[in-house]
Order: sequence, then structure tokens, then C-alpha cells
Amino acid sequence: MTDRRAEPQPVAAPIWKRDFPYEAAAEEEVTRREFARFLVAGAGALALGNVGLAAWTQLRTINEGEPRAIVDAATVEVGSTYLFRYPTDADPAVLLRISDSDVVAFSQKCTHLGCVVYYEADEHRWHCPCHEGNFEAETGEVISGPPLRPLGRIDVEIRDDGMIWALGRSAA
Amino acid sequence: MRVSERGRRSSSAVLIYVIILMAMQVFLVTVAAEAFLADEAGLAWATAIVSVVLFAAAASFLRYLRP
Repeated sequence: MTDRRAEPQPVAAPIWKRDFPYEAAAEEEVTRREFARFLVAGAGALALGNVGLAAWTQLRTINEGEPRAIVDAATVEVGSTYLFRYPTDADPAVLLRISDSDVVAFSQKCTHLGCVVYYEADEHRWHCPCHEGNFEAETGEVISGPPLRPLGRIDVEIRDDGMIWALGRSAA
Repeated sequence: MRVSERGRRSSSAVLIYVIILMAMQVFLVTVAAEAFLADEAGLAWATAIVSVVLFAAAASFLRYLRP
């Protein structure tokens, strides 16, 4: 004698499957445990990436630049700017002559998303047109807008030979 | 195997916890990238440590998830 209750009952296919009997070759069900495993594996990969990024941040050396002459100070009037590249040709920079004896220089890359900043003489500030970020003209500190960090500063000085020299890049 | 309503709800809760921890991991990646660009090694290591702790928490939650 057989037990009818133990026999598996055939499950009727849903109507939509009868109407659209399409099945992908790799179609299969994923249990919630498998799904959670995928998530945890992804979290592990991201954690590993974060550790790697931290190690890279710790170990890399940033080119701070070598001292070199930039431009003849006589050609840069007080209140005007001069564009140059420092420490490499891939690093746009800009200097501002504040007075006869004072000059400041910054990386031209906005610390928000890397757009090029320019000097607004009327407001006496550096302005990023991409997202309306503003930086203090003489220190590079953030005045307003989305940037959180000041502009990268480049140490410059006017030497006795009349040239403006870049001495190196400071930490932002 | 019959799963009680309570077990089903606790499984769902665990899964939601894991999803939330995963979302936090994604956020931490953006923080780590920001620290990398700003050359702030201290922030980068703090982010990495928190990220590893979150991963350990997510992995430990798997124990409580029914198959």
C-alpha cells in the first residue's frame, strides 16, 4: 500500500509562463543565502580595495618639484596673474603678484573635481566655474562652494636676479 | 523543511543588515578615494579599518541566515 500524501504533487505553471514560454539557458533560482553570500563577497572585495588604497596612499611619493625659475618678475604686474606648469608639464599652476615683493602661487586644479580655477580680480579670489567654488586669493583656503580642501600651494619667491622662482609644492 | 514565520522574518532582517553594510562599504570606497586624492594616509587607514570591520560583521551575519 502506498502513501498518497507523500507523493509530490505537480505544480501548475503560472499563466504567464504558458503564454510566454521563454526560458534563458542559465535561468535558475538564487536563494537568499546565496544572494547574501554574493553581497558579503562584494563587501570583502571592497574592504580589500580600501586596504589597498590606504597602503597606496601611505607608500606613494608625490613629486614636490625642484626649484626652478618661472618668469621674470618685471613682466608680471601687481594684481595680475601668470600661468605656468609645475612641478611637471601636466600640472597647471598659476601665480598672483600681490605686491612688489609678494607673490603667491597655487595649483590651478580645483580640489573639488579638478576643473581649472582662475583669478577674479574684482572679488580678489580664485574661482572655479564648474561648480562655483571660491578660494581665498592669498592663502587658497576655501571661501564657498563644494570644495572641502584648499588649493595646492606652490612656494614661490622673488630672488635678487629679478626672477620668480618656484621652490616646491606644499601639502594641500 | 518548514520555516516558521519568525524564522523567515529574522532571515529577512539579516539580509537587510547585510545589504545596509554593503551600502556603507560603497560609501567608504568614496571616502577612501577622497583620502587618496587628498593624500591623507590617516583617513585612508581609518576608512580601511572600518571597512574591514563592516566586512567581518557582514560575514558573521551569514551564520544567522537560514538556507
